[in-house]
Amino acid sequence: MGLLSGSASFMRFTVEGELPDRFWDFIAERVVAHSFTDIDDNMEEYSIGWVSVANMFDSEFNYASYAAGDYVVLSMRIDERKVSPAVLKKFTMKEEERIKREKQLPKLSRSVRIEIKERVRTELVRKSAPIPVIYDLCWNVTDNTLLFFSTSKKAMVQLEDLFRDTFDLSVMLQIPWTAAVHIADEQLVAGLDNLQPAILI
Amino acid sequence: MDLVDLIQEKRFLGQEFLAWLWYKAEERGGNVDVPGMGDILVVFEKHMLLEYGEGEASEKVICRGLQTELREARAGLALGKKPEQARIRVARGEYEFNVTLTAATMEFRNVKLPKTVDGADEGDDSESMEGRILERISLFEQLTEVINELFRMFIAKRASDQWPDELLKIRQWVGQGIG
Repeated sequence: MGLLSGSASFMRFTVEGELPDRFWDFIAERVVAHSFTDIDDNMEEYSIGWVSVANMFDSEFNYASYAAGDYVVLSMRIDERKVSPAVLKKFTMKEEERIKREKQLPKLSRSVRIEIKERVRTELVRKSAPIPVIYDLCWNVTDNTLLFFSTSKKAMVQLEDLFRDTFDLSVMLQIPWTAAVHIADEQLVAGLDNLQPAILI
Repeated sequence: MDLVDLIQEKRFLGQEFLAWLWYKAEERGGNVDVPGMGDILVVFEKHMLLEYGEGEASEKVICRGLQTELREARAGLALGKKPEQARIRVARGEYEFNVTLTAATMEFRNVKLPKTVDGADEGDDSESMEGRILERISLFEQLTEVINELFRMFIAKRASDQWPDELLKIRQWVGQGIG
């Protein structure tokens, strides 16, 4: 659900910064350099990068699928190995019991319990399959606006970081106030500065 | 001021935009005359979230229903609550969109685009795909353009000396919603 199909939710951003000359060469190089790396076959916990909007397994962009007319279209893919707190608690308690029995101890010290918990977490993370999430975006290069197909604040922060790392450009969320300042002429800007909430009754 | 503070301090602007748009939509039976675009159909429907107060002292009211006239929401406005989210149907020419707009950050949620050629009827080659993407983008941008223009109309009133007159009309309309 997003850019390509179904109902969609999105936030609007302004892309800030100077676009380089030979823009599409720059995009091609940077997108591939920050494309998604699969972690299914290794032990990494987290991976973030770009994939094609049409295919979450395409991170090579052989057919310049990041370009559609004057738009850059991409999906931000994040794979993460996660362990639910309840599962972690269960296996940690189990391991604590095992060690207490083995060493015939009535109680474990705090530092030992922390060490056990961390070890159990690492083991469980390694065993779990990475969970993928995908967020589409569409960047209108002509007017430097970007639609990001998510309303999650966490995803928004991840987008800001990945976009800056990839393109050396920043994205700024458009809110009613910044939109108002953007469209207002000199006279209206003076009026905007003095605005106070109105009472509608 | 950083963005988080700005969102909080200026959230009234988005709330007032939704209230103004609701009044504007009902002023001429759903049609809003947008400069350069002509009549745009704007209908508030199904779902509205209203808010009163700020922070921990804030109260929220959700009003929803299939064929509702949003009477409870109108009554909420009359009690001083302001819209925080609204489900709106917008039509320009032959195209009709549905969207839930949020006031604080102007998010576009659960956007339903007008029906066009079903993707399944088209090819899977890269040209068809690009065509499909461009068509969807064009529809999303038509919707954001309409909302931008409506917002521009609002700001032209809100930040100018026309606002006191407009506010009087809004208050009269809010008053009509009681009972």
